Amino acid sequence: MSALAQRLRLGAPAALVPLGAVAVAALVGALVMLAAGVDPLRGYDAMFRGALSVSNIDFAVAGFTAILAMSLAFAIPARMGEYNLGGDGQLVAGGIAAAAVALYLPGPAVLLLPACVLAGALAGGALASVSAPLSTRAGVPVIISTLLLSTPMVALASYLVRFPLAEEGSPVPQTPRLPDAAHLPAFPGMSYTNVGLVLVLAVLLVTVYVDARTPVGYEIRVAGANRGFAAYGGLSVPRLTLGTLAAAGAVAGLAGAVIVMSQPFRFIDDALTAPGYTFAGVAAALLAGGRPALLPVTAALFTILSVGAAGMERDVDVPRQLGQVLQAVVILVLALRVLAARWMAARARRAAGGRA
Amino acid sequence: MTDGTAARSAAGAPPAAELRGITKRFGPVLAVDGVDLVLERGTVHAVVGENGAGKSTLMSVLYGLHRPDAGQVLRDGREVRLSSPLDAIAAGLGMVHQNFRLFGSLTVAENVVYRAEPARFGLVDRSAAERRVEELSARIGLDVDPTARVDTLPLGVRQRVEILKALHRQAEVLILDEPTAVLTPGEVDSLFVVVRRMAEQGTTVALVTHKVREVLEATDRVTVLRDGVVTARLTTAQTTAGEVVEAMIGRGLVPAVNPRGAVSGEPVLEVSGVRMPAAPGASRVQDVSLRVSPGEVVGIAGVSGNGQRELVEAVVGLRTAQAGTVRLRGRDLAGLGVRERRGLGIAYVPEDRPGVGTAAALSVADNLALGHHRTPPIGRRGRLSPRAVRAQAADLVRRLGVKTAGVAVPLSSLSGGNAQKVVLARELHHEAALLVVEQPTQGVDVGAGEEIHRLLLDYRARGGAVLLVSYEISELRALADRVLVMLDGAVTAELDAADATEEVLGAAMVHGGGAHAAGTTTGGGAAR
Amino acid sequence: MDVLNLAFVAAVLTSAAPVLYAALGGALCGRAGVFNIALEGQLLCGAFAAVAVSWWSGSPWLGVLAAVVSTAVFSFVLAVGAVAWRADPIIVAVGMNLLALGLTGFIMREALDATGTFAPAGLQGLPDLDAIDGVPVLGAVLGRATVLVPVAVVLAVALSLWLARTSVGLRLRGVGEHPEAATSLGVPVTRYQMATVVVAGALCGLGGAQLSLGTVTAFTENMTAGRGWVAVAAVMLAVNRPLWVLGACLLFGAAEAWGFRLQGIGLPQQLTDAAPYLVTLVVLVLSRIRVRRRLSAADPLAAENAAHPEAVIHPEETR
Repeated sequence: MSALAQRLRLGAPAALVPLGAVAVAALVGALVMLAAGVDPLRGYDAMFRGALSVSNIDFAVAGFTAILAMSLAFAIPARMGEYNLGGDGQLVAGGIAAAAVALYLPGPAVLLLPACVLAGALAGGALASVSAPLSTRAGVPVIISTLLLSTPMVALASYLVRFPLAEEGSPVPQTPRLPDAAHLPAFPGMSYTNVGLVLVLAVLLVTVYVDARTPVGYEIRVAGANRGFAAYGGLSVPRLTLGTLAAAGAVAGLAGAVIVMSQPFRFIDDALTAPGYTFAGVAAALLAGGRPALLPVTAALFTILSVGAAGMERDVDVPRQLGQVLQAVVILVLALRVLAARWMAARARRAAGGRA
Repeated sequence: MTDGTAARSAAGAPPAAELRGITKRFGPVLAVDGVDLVLERGTVHAVVGENGAGKSTLMSVLYGLHRPDAGQVLRDGREVRLSSPLDAIAAGLGMVHQNFRLFGSLTVAENVVYRAEPARFGLVDRSAAERRVEELSARIGLDVDPTARVDTLPLGVRQRVEILKALHRQAEVLILDEPTAVLTPGEVDSLFVVVRRMAEQGTTVALVTHKVREVLEATDRVTVLRDGVVTARLTTAQTTAGEVVEAMIGRGLVPAVNPRGAVSGEPVLEVSGVRMPAAPGASRVQDVSLRVSPGEVVGIAGVSGNGQRELVEAVVGLRTAQAGTVRLRGRDLAGLGVRERRGLGIAYVPEDRPGVGTAAALSVADNLALGHHRTPPIGRRGRLSPRAVRAQAADLVRRLGVKTAGVAVPLSSLSGGNAQKVVLARELHHEAALLVVEQPTQGVDVGAGEEIHRLLLDYRARGGAVLLVSYEISELRALADRVLVMLDGAVTAELDAADATEEVLGAAMVHGGGAHAAGTTTGGGAAR
Repeated sequence: MDVLNLAFVAAVLTSAAPVLYAALGGALCGRAGVFNIALEGQLLCGAFAAVAVSWWSGSPWLGVLAAVVSTAVFSFVLAVGAVAWRADPIIVAVGMNLLALGLTGFIMREALDATGTFAPAGLQGLPDLDAIDGVPVLGAVLGRATVLVPVAVVLAVALSLWLARTSVGLRLRGVGEHPEAATSLGVPVTRYQMATVVVAGALCGLGGAQLSLGTVTAFTENMTAGRGWVAVAAVMLAVNRPLWVLGACLLFGAAEAWGFRLQGIGLPQQLTDAAPYLVTLVVLVLSRIRVRRRLSAADPLAAENAAHPEAVIHPEETR
């Protein structure tokens, strides 16, 4: 147990801060519910049931798949100090690419499934990759370029789904239903939960492994700690930036592909961005800090917040945006973790009686 | 104390500033121990000592940056309590720090009047500010354009802006902290003219330095510090370089103890005709050629900012030369990046340790692994063994005697000397044919400095070739077999270790080639 | 003068105004040395407060006031978190943007009982400048705009002069450029920075009000749709200089207005919506390449950090 704790670097203060952030968020949520005239216990009960009850768990696991993927899409470049906030665009790029391949490239499932998934990952990866040279050659921060590329990509997908890829005669902007060969196999007894979960978990494992056990993972951490040091040591910062962003975009694109290849098997305008997977993923990644192995735990938490929020809206009539508010509070409290660190350092200094 | 009283009665008027019995400790370190210092009005007073002698601490007390543990600060004979530089400014004190505190994108006039602006209705009166700068400059014989943006100015002019800033705030006592460290020889001369002029007009100047030549050239009185206590109070006109040096280091100058290594074989590094143009923030390099053989330390001497950094970066692959070739063991390195060059046998200890040589947030072990992470035992077939990273770190830490709480602690927890040992350990561990070293003992205490020198000489003894850039003459004398002097991007003198006396080197750094008996200089703690 | 072209100018100004307010706030923060990427959330906060209070009170002017006050208050999160407590400004801002999105949606549902869009029949928008309708040229350009549109342009000029000419402006520039130096001369750096962040919040409040009570009369969930990020890009592009910010925002406004025109001749709205963001990004890239080259010539290692937010605030400094 302690070995596991050590491996995850769960030292006492390191674990306290994320737990504290969640506790503060829960408290804020309770206050908001009280203000809205809802018993917080009922509210949270509805939230948990909205995500975890037998009838909802299938859908919640699908949400978890997307949020875990988006947390990876943020966490991978964050390892080298880059913030990828363009997850929406990458997600949508992956979704629309997978849908286009499925609709225009007939074939048996054994070929079409990997082709669609690959197309999604490539499209997301390609979009995110654009930000790499913009950062390393032009000095435009990744955080800004990913966002500025995201909005046009979402608009482009919206256009595609209304015109070239639209389903004739549908009142909703959406593609036709994808052919059966492009449906990801669902788990027995489930309709939303499917092989996509396995794919994303595989990506997670690879990420954890690369991070801790390969020279590339080491180089990414070095570049994240000090670019000058990395370049001095002969590492190629541009290549590492490109690699992490491409990987991040690919995971986001994979998530988009998985979504359109699941129930209801189409790309529906807004369906990928409206649930807020991107920022739930950002929050999950920030909560996990520099520990990719914790991502499933934090992603699960934010899945409950965002998927459960819909259930809460249904059952006790608390607007689902409360989920977003709670995510935001977790992020804000986490941002203040430096205070805890500084406080501890000051105490250590006082205890040591060292020099000022 | 008696000394201070005597000075006052002799002069009739109280001294412009006086420190009495100042003691300051940092944790277990006693930085300054019961020091008295008397700055007579209108004099230039040298506060001299080696690095770590306590002179900076003493001046920080005078300028309100540190509160003394014991002792008094007096201005014009009255005790003042200075709890911040603001109090010091209000008391008529000014300080020009080694690292200038100027606003680069603001004009000279804006910098000078900042927070003390001539203003009408909240609007800065620009012409009044510019007139003020012109008037102050004229008074002390400076030529400064008040409308120029500060970041377009050379360092020497920026220093003048700092002086004007202090004068605008009515400073009567001006502390100059190692003012010549960043200056070109010409700028040093004109700084001393300005200092003299200010003293004539009644400003009292405290000149903090470790360069004996400057003491003799520019000051009236000298107070020498060693290990936190005053070892001599001298009148410049009646003293000699030898007397000052002896008070500084406790003994006379000793000849360099640096038996030349056995130089053999083909040169490891051959630089020929390297040129680089000047750019904003970068010095030019003019047609530099040099060679370093196995078992040889070649030193590059010169005042900081004369093209040394640019030359080194062209050797290690961080910068592309405009013309010329760099060869390593006969192989032309043109077109090769840092990684390839390191692979061919270049190791590098950079000058900027926090910004380039280390990553403060990473562990000691991770800092030691850079460059070794793709070769066994750490990296093997695309895998990296965290265990091997720790093992290598533990081994290097033990072998070099790095004082650290472990290899998993962040590098930021190490002292400067130990952090530098980490850098050196990593680079020496490459056993590369060529080791490029910049300022190896900068910001390092004396004991660690000596160990670092020993490590470099051991490396040379094993047949390694070392290219050493240092601004400290004593360090060059302690390590180098040959010394090249760089001035304005060109090599202006090349000396054998035997000929590279401090006088000759000092003169060449200032005036270019040829001997010029400008006096004696001593470097930092390395000589001890 | 061609009325059509004047109408185009009017459209450009109207499109640019909300972004301009936010970008001026961002530029002030940049000048004070605070990296503010919470502009998106601040704009959204202002847009919502303006509509909500205008609806409850029936007065759009009270709505504008509420937008200014509430966004300034909201900005205390950044002021306290990132300035006083020195937490990572990027993470604080990400949290604020998400908080604004969630809270506005939540309150809209809870208090205004609306989802998606809130545009009831009785919602009072800001009046147009009908008074100057008759004035030649000016009437054609501003007659259909709210007073907040010309005020934004005037503000850009005023802030530029204020920074350049006043004592406080000079001190603020120093605070951002070299906080230690400013401190050593007795300027309370933290207080300057916090005040700047709050003032920037107030400006974003005006921008939000213009968006929801001027450009349209409605509040839509996430109605800022990336405009705050365009403002961030404009701040970078302009290197914190208000007049350049004006130029950058006019460029964005022109792209958007031009997009509306193209829609008029049949191009799908989704494609023209994308144009302003791409134009902004392209211009930003072109401008930054030059800065990056210069940094690289001075110090190749420091240039590796050129895209770091710190370097973005002070592009002139090397190491």
